Amino acid sequence: MPAQSPAGRVALWRGRSGRVSAFADRCPHRGMRLSHGFVRGETLSCIYHGWGYAQAGNCVRIPAHPALTPPETVRVATQHVEDGGGIIWISAGEPTGGPPRFEGLAPVRSMTVEAGIVALEEATGTSIAGGLLDYTNADTSVRLLLAPESPARTLMHVLIDEDSNPDERITASRAAEALRRAAEHIERGGTGR
Amino acid sequence: MKLYDYVLSPSCYKVRLMAALAGVKLDIWPVDFHPGAEHRGPELMALNPAGSIPIFEDGDLVLTESSAMLVYLAAKAAQQWLGNDTAMPAARVQQWLSFSHRLTASLGAARLHEMLLRPGNIDALRGQGTVALRELEAGLIEQRIRGQNFLASDRPTVADIACFPYVALAPDGGVSLDPYPAIRLWSRAVRSLDGFIEMPGIHRLHELKPEPGPEGGEA
Amino acid sequence: MTRNAMMDEWYPVGLVSQLDAHGRSTALMGEPIEVKRGDDGTATVARSDGRHLPVCIRYGHVWSSLGDPQKPLFAIPEADQPGRRLVDVGVVRVRCSPLRAVENFLDIAHFPFVHTDILGSEPHTEVQNYKVEIREDEDEVWATQVRFYQPQAAKSAEGGITTEYMYRVPAPTCSILYKTCPPRPGEWDVITLFVQPLAEDLCDVWPWMALFDDETPMTDLIHFQQTIFVQDRSILENQIPGLLPLDPGMEIPTRADLTSVAYRRWLKRHGYTYGAQLVAQ
Ligand SMILES: N[C@H](CCC(=O)N[C@@H](CS)C(=O)NCC(=O)O)C(=O)O
Ligand code: FES
Ligand SMILES: [Fe+2]
Repeated sequence: MPAQSPAGRVALWRGRSGRVSAFADRCPHRGMRLSHGFVRGETLSCIYHGWGYAQAGNCVRIPAHPALTPPETVRVATQHVEDGGGIIWISAGEPTGGPPRFEGLAPVRSMTVEAGIVALEEATGTSIAGGLLDYTNADTSVRLLLAPESPARTLMHVLIDEDSNPDERITASRAAEALRRAAEHIERGGTGR
Repeated sequence: MKLYDYVLSPSCYKVRLMAALAGVKLDIWPVDFHPGAEHRGPELMALNPAGSIPIFEDGDLVLTESSAMLVYLAAKAAQQWLGNDTAMPAARVQQWLSFSHRLTASLGAARLHEMLLRPGNIDALRGQGTVALRELEAGLIEQRIRGQNFLASDRPTVADIACFPYVALAPDGGVSLDPYPAIRLWSRAVRSLDGFIEMPGIHRLHELKPEPGPEGGEA
Repeated sequence: MTRNAMMDEWYPVGLVSQLDAHGRSTALMGEPIEVKRGDDGTATVARSDGRHLPVCIRYGHVWSSLGDPQKPLFAIPEADQPGRRLVDVGVVRVRCSPLRAVENFLDIAHFPFVHTDILGSEPHTEVQNYKVEIREDEDEVWATQVRFYQPQAAKSAEGGITTEYMYRVPAPTCSILYKTCPPRPGEWDVITLFVQPLAEDLCDVWPWMALFDDETPMTDLIHFQQTIFVQDRSILENQIPGLLPLDPGMEIPTRADLTSVAYRRWLKRHGYTYGAQLVAQ
């Protein structure tokens, strides 16, 4: 699937073993976005000509030349990713430790907000620390994990107490929708709550 | 059963897809929609004064709304696709069947504008399409929380088929699907169904087929 | 900057069959133009300032140029051969470089993945060696002896066959392919891709065909070709960078891509760079 990272667009994929990888979202052959590709076993293949890449980013298959072992030089840039409690983390450089853990919380959904951090702070009336925001609306408490994609666009991950029942999770999802509407209204120049 | 059809029409594709999933053979009658505008010609206007396709005929029955065609095919040949055994899914099916027309009017019109040069206010169409996609995403998230992977129940229904094509083809109209993870999972679930067929713009899920052998020969 | 060499080329700007007095507002390389049938029944193409542009009617399309074409439009002798059916496939707009659209047309290695079960299928993915040359006399790129296994090579094909192709690039945004003709061994079907550059990253594509096929209804022939091209469209809109890279270091070709390599080299040599990117960014 496609995703954003500080180093640009990435193709995130999971091999059969469950291992997650992040590649630069561009096939070195003719530039097709790799996030449109397909996964067989532990290989991500490009949809255009089917070139296959292993988790380390090296090309392992060129279907037009089945007998050819692809040269080592054919590879895509990879980024370090980690799967931590239902959230995929990507690190901009060499990571110094594991990703943060949110004990007792479970992810509900991820959503794109066409608003920046400032508008989200204004909409919640809270300030954001370390990309985290705890937000309570009509008895529902959620923790929001915010990743800015651009100055006016934020990827928002919604987390909730892992003991919540389905109704509470649905309420949390709806609360996040309401927050998104409010933040986008502010971003467009409207006033806060 | 005869279908007046156009290969690039997502509305016609709904009917072809439902027929394929239900194992029904259609008698396909290709309409020169583009560039010929045959759907606006006297013969087809006589059948459907609205000037749209698909048009479906079975004996005396003439249908001009794809949702009705899906229900007819399911009722005849694949009743589990009607999703009407209890009140809740029955209502959800109707909810999404009606909703699907908003997809046609927004994402469908944006696609015709971008691809076949039809007139339209592209920014407004994309905006309405985005609103509809967000509703669909939220609906699918809630379904997943309930433990159901499809729009109206835990199995696919005509509602999924009514919504799938214009959503899957949203990028044709310049509307990205990148922000919708639940739509992506649902779209994969639909594309993985037994008997699923594609249309241009919706690629085969090549992962469903094993990797050919190292010899590249007959595997 | 020197004058863009592509200015003096002919480009398709509309279907002759759809020409009317009302006109079609379109563009050529960023310049708005109006294509219509004039009072005397002939086609006219004019810029927004009213200045008339050269016009040529050929292969079912109206052709025009922003500059001063030094040569007549390229010849397709087969187009005048009796017994062929001429198919106006109609326009499809693509948000991509006009040169990327042509390059995709010259490529066969994508058939199994993009035109699955029609023009190709796994495991028949191998591209055999073929011949590529830049013919100096005609100043055209040619690829010959291109062979590929195809499940359904044409509307008239029954079952899989190994198809032979020849490709020809007579102008920077036009390509012609000749392909084994199932009903008539020894003859070639002619399938073209005429690309109208609207901007460097936007084009209107006008596929056109001259086929030996008396059986298949016209609408089916149109739909077959529209199917194929629209399968390519979602690829073309997702290539990065949008402009065709002419710097050899940017993308990695293999033997299967020799036509594309020759096409890029020929574009560079002539300064046909509208829709191209010269240096890596
Ligand atoms: N009656 C609707 C109409 C579907 C629809 O909008 N069809 C398009 C083709 S995809 C159409 O015929 N448009 C008429 C036109 O654009 O001229 C349905 O069956 O869902
Ligand atoms: S562009 Fe990816 S395989 Fe050719
Ligand atoms: Fe293609």
